[in-house]
Amino acid sequence: MRLNLTGPDGARLLCLAVLVVLPFFVPSAYVRHLIIVAVVYGVVASNWNFSLGYGGIFNFGHLAFFGLGAYASAILAKTVGITPWVTIVLAGVVAVIAAIIVSVPVLRLKGIYVVLVTFAFSQLCLQLIMSQQGMTGGSQGFPLVPQLKLGDYSFASDDKFGYYFVALFLLVISTLYLERLVRSNFGISVVALRDNEDYAVSRGISLARQRLLTLVASALFTGMAGGFFSTYTRVASPEIFGFGPLSLALSMMLLGGTGSIYGPIVGAFVITIVSELMIDLGPARFLIIAAMIILVLLFYPGGIIVGLRRAYDELLKLRPTRA
Amino acid sequence: MAQPILEIDDLVTGYGRTQVLWGVTLALNEGERIGLFGPNGHGKSTLLKTVSGLLKPWRGAIRLNGESIGGVQPRAVVDRGLIHVPQGNVLFPQLTVVENLRLGAYARRARAEREPNLARVFELFPRLAERRRQLSRTLSGGERQMLAIGVGLMGAPKLLMLDEPTLGLAPKLKDELLDAIGKISRVGVPLVLVEQDVEFLVALTDRLYMINHGAVALDIASTDRLDHGEIMQMYFGKG
Amino acid sequence: MATAQSVFLSGIVLGSLYAMMATGLSLVWTTLGIFNFAHGIFMAVGALVAWQVGTDLGWGLGPAAGLAIGVAVLVGIGFLSELVVVRPFLARRDVVLIAVITTLSASIFFENGTLLIWGARYKQLEPLIPGKVDLLSTAISAHEVLIIVIAPLTLVLLWLFLKFTRIGSAIRAVSQNRESALLMGMNVSLLYSSAFALSAGLAGLSGILLGSVRFITPSLGAEPLVKALIVAIFGGLGSLGGTIGAAYVIGLLEAISVYFIGLYWTPALLFGVMILVLLVRPTGLFGRKG
Repeated sequence: MRLNLTGPDGARLLCLAVLVVLPFFVPSAYVRHLIIVAVVYGVVASNWNFSLGYGGIFNFGHLAFFGLGAYASAILAKTVGITPWVTIVLAGVVAVIAAIIVSVPVLRLKGIYVVLVTFAFSQLCLQLIMSQQGMTGGSQGFPLVPQLKLGDYSFASDDKFGYYFVALFLLVISTLYLERLVRSNFGISVVALRDNEDYAVSRGISLARQRLLTLVASALFTGMAGGFFSTYTRVASPEIFGFGPLSLALSMMLLGGTGSIYGPIVGAFVITIVSELMIDLGPARFLIIAAMIILVLLFYPGGIIVGLRRAYDELLKLRPTRA
Repeated sequence: MAQPILEIDDLVTGYGRTQVLWGVTLALNEGERIGLFGPNGHGKSTLLKTVSGLLKPWRGAIRLNGESIGGVQPRAVVDRGLIHVPQGNVLFPQLTVVENLRLGAYARRARAEREPNLARVFELFPRLAERRRQLSRTLSGGERQMLAIGVGLMGAPKLLMLDEPTLGLAPKLKDELLDAIGKISRVGVPLVLVEQDVEFLVALTDRLYMINHGAVALDIASTDRLDHGEIMQMYFGKG
Repeated sequence: MATAQSVFLSGIVLGSLYAMMATGLSLVWTTLGIFNFAHGIFMAVGALVAWQVGTDLGWGLGPAAGLAIGVAVLVGIGFLSELVVVRPFLARRDVVLIAVITTLSASIFFENGTLLIWGARYKQLEPLIPGKVDLLSTAISAHEVLIIVIAPLTLVLLWLFLKFTRIGSAIRAVSQNRESALLMGMNVSLLYSSAFALSAGLAGLSGILLGSVRFITPSLGAEPLVKALIVAIFGGLGSLGGTIGAAYVIGLLEAISVYFIGLYWTPALLFGVMILVLLVRPTGLFGRKG
């Protein structure tokens, strides 16, 4: 494959390069922590966008994949004693199983019913976790999850540099996976189904099978992100299933733009940073974020990414072009 | 000559980016009934929707009694007594016949005359009176059209626009409806009538406009006595 | 057998609350075609306003004033919310999705707004009627009896309003055919805000009634909202009678399930029942086809 360095490939490599060197320039472990959080949310939001933006399936239980991944990985690592490297991958498998389960009722439903059932599913997961106190820690969360280790090297000991690169690796793999996915025949048929259900069905695309696969595809890396997150923060918390993370991820996706894989990732960074800048405001910052979401939806329906693309194109125009 | 009741001047509009009307100009004078005909999809319904405020004009003017109504809210148009009965109107399927009719007099100026008008509608369409407590979704196609026209009359129209009131009806029902429309227009309600069937239009209206490719292709007095061959020629072009 | 009766009564109390909430959700859904995820926080705000107005820790005007002002404030909040978070997006193709995020944003806004105004300390309303009453040979608080009475009363009033008033029939009409409503000269935007305001008022009332049974926190309405969602799905969105019927079915089912299999597994049971219903009838148990 030839890289087109002045086009989108250039922008991607540039972003990747910035992310690779970024931790060495930021002043504190805390800022690195924030970027890790943004990266994790970037994985969650961009994978959610595959089912919602590309597939048109209003899955509001997406954060349940993340939460179940977090708990599965934490419990497997601590209670069963499997190394976190493996449990993070297993978290993806658990999320995929959850996706298959939630698909069953969703396959035949339409529109708002999909929203309600998937949302109810995530609430159900929460209730189950709360009720199984012995296994999950109940409302207190599941603490003291084992850390990542590589030989004698502990990831906890180096001001989050190690975790930073694991998170970045996860984001890169997930993004490459999504890129492949949307360009594959499967990805194209997913969009076809979204845009014209009747036509796609008449061309022999199975609605049920397609929805199942779309949800499964969006769950894999979301679950792994959950596994990574509970390993990194050392706790699996029931708060993941609440309104907060749901609307956070949703606003990242919508603010960033649902038209591309990168929109939600950009959204994740922007919201994490903006929310952090206002941390002194306490609860008031959520008022501002809520208002901001409404305003962006009102004035930039395509999301921030549209503006960024335009700016990048302008930037390229400024350079002298070779004849 | 007195000022026309409805005057449309070089009207241009469409849906989204698709332009449908390419400069429609027509007028309706005091006490006059005009008919619109022409091939499907050439802008008749779009024209009525723009006049009643459902669509915004891109360009051009719409005047009612000399007052510009282009681009105002539908309810401002209704308040001025211009009532539009759209094509294939299903109204409110989960409401009863009489509830539908009463809502037809929702606008303030029609409210005072609501009950007398209701009696008049029932007189015009006795079948609606029989079915007054039925949900309107249980009505037959013909009854639905009667209801749609009845709802239009409940709005105490000073100008009534009917979009294909006989669409898809059997000939017998069609005659019945056109009979009723004739009665309405004889009371002196100015009428804009869209119909596929030009012979009916000739019988019911004073003047005809043929709408073709989103513009007025022909303006003829109904008394000119067109024969069938000429009309066919207008539809399908000169052979 | 006193137990069966007390299980029945607690089911009816739950059903009454769910009926009021789910009716509010369903009213907005049928009229505007969107789902209001701020419905839960509206409950909490209603209860907090009533607390501020009514209790001695607030302005001390008494529970009745608290109830009246609480509902009135919620009607106002509903009206304004529709204006800001719904109306600008109604013409968008993906309004269903956008409305989820905008109403969720409104929910975040009000949740943190209440934290700023009232802080995080738990509050509780005094019961509207103190004391206990013997009903079906079971001692039950008078307040709960009030809930059992107020809910059907409110819903009957709502039905009368929708059936017999000009605005009420217009609200029903606009939900069935927006274009015809426009052509009859209805102020569709105003009807939308009215339906939203009415729904918020119902949420406020449910919150106030719940606020003397449970502690008032910003998440007072979160769990009932999920139940009301299940009720709304179960009943088939948009059918008022179906929604109310489903509310009482779910309320009783929950009470029975809590008694026999416990608090923790009940949500799973309800969810399972909902899935079963949807598998058999994708438009809900009492919903219309198509």
